[in-house]
Amino acid sequence: MAHAAQVGLQDATSPIMEELIIFHDHALMIIFLICFLVLYALFLTLTTKLTNTNISDAQEMETIWTILPAIILVLIALPSLRILYMTDEINDPSFTIKSIGHQWYWTYEYTDYGGLIFNSYMLPPLFLEPGDLRLLDVDNRVVLPVEAPVRMMITSQDVLHSWAVPTLGLKTDAIPGRLNQTTFTATRPGVYYGQCSEICGANHSFMPIVLELIPLKIFEMGPVFAL
Amino acid sequence: VPEPVSESLKLLGFLDVENTPCARHSILYGSLGSVVAGFGHFLFTSRIRRSCDVGVGGFILVTLGCWFHCRYNYAKQRIQERIAREEIKKKILYEGTHLDPERKHNGSSSN
Repeated sequence: MAHAAQVGLQDATSPIMEELIIFHDHALMIIFLICFLVLYALFLTLTTKLTNTNISDAQEMETIWTILPAIILVLIALPSLRILYMTDEINDPSFTIKSIGHQWYWTYEYTDYGGLIFNSYMLPPLFLEPGDLRLLDVDNRVVLPVEAPVRMMITSQDVLHSWAVPTLGLKTDAIPGRLNQTTFTATRPGVYYGQCSEICGANHSFMPIVLELIPLKIFEMGPVFAL
Repeated sequence: VPEPVSESLKLLGFLDVENTPCARHSILYGSLGSVVAGFGHFLFTSRIRRSCDVGVGGFILVTLGCWFHCRYNYAKQRIQERIAREEIKKKILYEGTHLDPERKHNGSSSN
């Protein structure tokens, strides 16, 4: 989860998110250098003693500041497209879960090995125990295995919602009448939080997502396989 | 009581130099390159404004060059770490069985 006043990305829990963080660092360095150049140009503009504004014929400069941005865009676009296609790679998921958005809770269906269906509501503040996270913890978490490709099928029963878990690099819109798919492979166990990311009414901020990722051996002993 | 998270240095308010791999290294070499280029140009030409321009240009070019060089090596290192991790996992799982990677390697070398 994010700590207070966090601005940067959360630590990665999936290979795709690791790649996204690397790309983000790459893009941010390019942005920093461009900002530095622009700030220097602004400083020069504010401190110049030159008064002649009728300047023309700067062909070399015009060539440079046309070609250079094109090169910069290519340097940013190539890694971006690489990750985009990486997210769509066929990885043969071993597990499929359906996530249905409602106003204002999520329903999860584990139908691969039985008929486990449950709702996941945010814990109201009065029901929080010491150590629970306000506005983030839920009554029923989504329990999943680590290091197994998981397919999430996401839809909505009423209005638009969005199922997002930042640490896994996931954000998929829940659209009524449409089934969206996303896949992920978690690399480490733990409890990971997300929040609804599409405005959906009065309690849009109060329908969080909590994933509990556990080792595969323990997951196999769980209630999903006992059905 | 959770400990407060220490603030890391962020250039221009957004570039986290401490936690971004290769950022500190690139910025430091870029600063050195900027000073060398700018001061060197001034020594030869005695033009202050143009030397500042050369300094800024030097900073950008040296930072960018160091950044790409360091990130390329970092990516190579990550790939090697991943291969080593997979091989160690395979070794632990299959040691003593017919799938033991070391046994396969020794078998092929003795043949």
